[in-house]
Amino acid sequence: MAVTSRPTPPPSEAAEGPARRGALGGAAGLGRRFLTLREGSITVVTLITFVYFATNVGRFATGNNFTNLLPYFAPYAIMAAGEVFVMINGEIDLSIGAMYLFVPFLFHEVHHAGLPIYPALIASLAVAAALGVCNAVAVSVLNISSFVATLGMLFVLDGVTLIMSHAAPVNTPGTAVIGLNTFAQVFGAGTYSELIWAVAIVGLLQLVLTFTRWGLYTIAVGGNRIGAAEAGISVRRVMMRNFAASAVLAGFTGILEAVRVTTATPDPSASNDILFQAISAAVIGGTLLRGGSGTVVGALIGALFLGILHDGLILKGVSANYLDLYLGIAILIAMAINTYVSRVRVGSGRA
Amino acid sequence: MPEAAATETIVAPKTDPADVLRVEHVSKRFGPVTALRDVSLHLRKGEVLGLLGDNGAGKSTLIKILSGFHHADAGTMWLKGETYTPRNVQDARSRGVDTVFQDLALVDELSVYHNLFLNRERVYRPVPLLANRAMRRQARKALDEIGINIPRLDVPVARLSGGQRQAIAVARTVSGDADVLLLDEPLAAMGAKEGAMILELIERLKREGRVSIIMILHNYVHVLAACDRVNLIQDGVISLDKPTAETSVEELTEIVVEEYRRARLEANLRNGAPASSDRPATPAT
Repeated sequence: MAVTSRPTPPPSEAAEGPARRGALGGAAGLGRRFLTLREGSITVVTLITFVYFATNVGRFATGNNFTNLLPYFAPYAIMAAGEVFVMINGEIDLSIGAMYLFVPFLFHEVHHAGLPIYPALIASLAVAAALGVCNAVAVSVLNISSFVATLGMLFVLDGVTLIMSHAAPVNTPGTAVIGLNTFAQVFGAGTYSELIWAVAIVGLLQLVLTFTRWGLYTIAVGGNRIGAAEAGISVRRVMMRNFAASAVLAGFTGILEAVRVTTATPDPSASNDILFQAISAAVIGGTLLRGGSGTVVGALIGALFLGILHDGLILKGVSANYLDLYLGIAILIAMAINTYVSRVRVGSGRA
Repeated sequence: MPEAAATETIVAPKTDPADVLRVEHVSKRFGPVTALRDVSLHLRKGEVLGLLGDNGAGKSTLIKILSGFHHADAGTMWLKGETYTPRNVQDARSRGVDTVFQDLALVDELSVYHNLFLNRERVYRPVPLLANRAMRRQARKALDEIGINIPRLDVPVARLSGGQRQAIAVARTVSGDADVLLLDEPLAAMGAKEGAMILELIERLKREGRVSIIMILHNYVHVLAACDRVNLIQDGVISLDKPTAETSVEELTEIVVEEYRRARLEANLRNGAPASSDRPATPAT
């Protein structure tokens, strides 16, 4: 908790976003500037956690363990990246877990109906996007709170998945021939496939958030909805984009995971656990629920933190019963630090 | 005396080529609330028109209709000789009507220059990434031109004072290429010094003669200093239209006091009959 002792920040010069690091004055200044980045505190916490496990658990800092860690981190990072956009927009999408569950089954159905694998993939993701737009319509046109609207979508999709699958698992299309199949290698089954997708998607979305109109309008709508509308921004269109992006990324993650484990299992409780992990990653990463500010890279680091914690605790031999307790405490501590840092950041003039 | 005031011409001849903006018989209801009963006004080219009135009289509603944010229930509007029914704020802006709203429409989390360029960002081509450097440079130039000093443009506007925020909201409108500006209380939340800066800016715009301005004000001293003409809006109708040269702080105060008194009388006597359409405010006495 190095942040608690830091003095009032000096007037910093450049830098208005996490992607920007201007001229710096000295190592202390650099440290201060780093901590006032939205991702700063969670990065420090993640490093501390990593060092702790690396020094206390022999098998932790090995390449082998890193590949074990990936499934506990990459999928959450991708889903959290989408959720971050909705959260910056000032809303929340609770249907991403159900979307994660539903889309692989849809993919399976569409493929079995005769569509080749890539068109089936695209069609499934298009349906996910349309469902995301439905969420946005419910929120921005029907004025249902996003919490309620997406909760409704959650149950609808869970239900449809159970009906469609008759509550039985299915084989994921494209996973029959292991090792030779490019589709499976690229979309989840390759050792680093999910990691590469996660890093690429997070990098792209951080770019979108910081350097495009879409990102700017998302912040504007989340920060001052009426003001954004008065400036002529179409609030509905911004929301539709964000809910659609969130839904597509959740569905895509579902397909990656279904390809990785070669089957899709209709288990709503597991998918809702993933929903909470993704939201936790976003929140721990420094995105505030009240909207107007957030970071995609932070969500990736938040997901990494959750993955390290989960993996480290298991390797350390902590009873599985304690995992959720530690996770909960970790979220509360990380949030306390984030709130403090965001207060300091306003003082130091970071956007 | 109010009688004298009420006999002023309320609407100019219908085909006055000097009018850049004309509003005729516009009304607006929000559910059971009548915000505008029957409003007619006109704005000449290069003119600064002050809009006065009590809270809830309909000033902001009128501004929001002119800016395209709300849509009138009835009535017609003309802009530069053509009928004017803006679909939305964007549409109004593309036709040269730009607005500083009462709540300023600033996004606290965004930087000064992002706010200045909100919804008219500069982007690179062909990849539409934000041209932040160009925007910052242009923002600095625009602020310098209108004499507003904000030390840093990359800080979030949450850190600025009320007056600085107001100045940015005004600068956002002024630095565009609008020729009709609508300012809803541009001097609210400003200290004397900042207020003087904005008044000076409006004075300069008036001298240049390129833009025509409607602004809502509360302070009569400001009205007399900045405006060519005042319209008093009361109870959803324009009840007074007078050049500022023919009035004074005392008279405006007296008129307003008298209007209140009359409004209360009318409220007691009224039995639901609407005022006659071309002379909304019939003298009650």
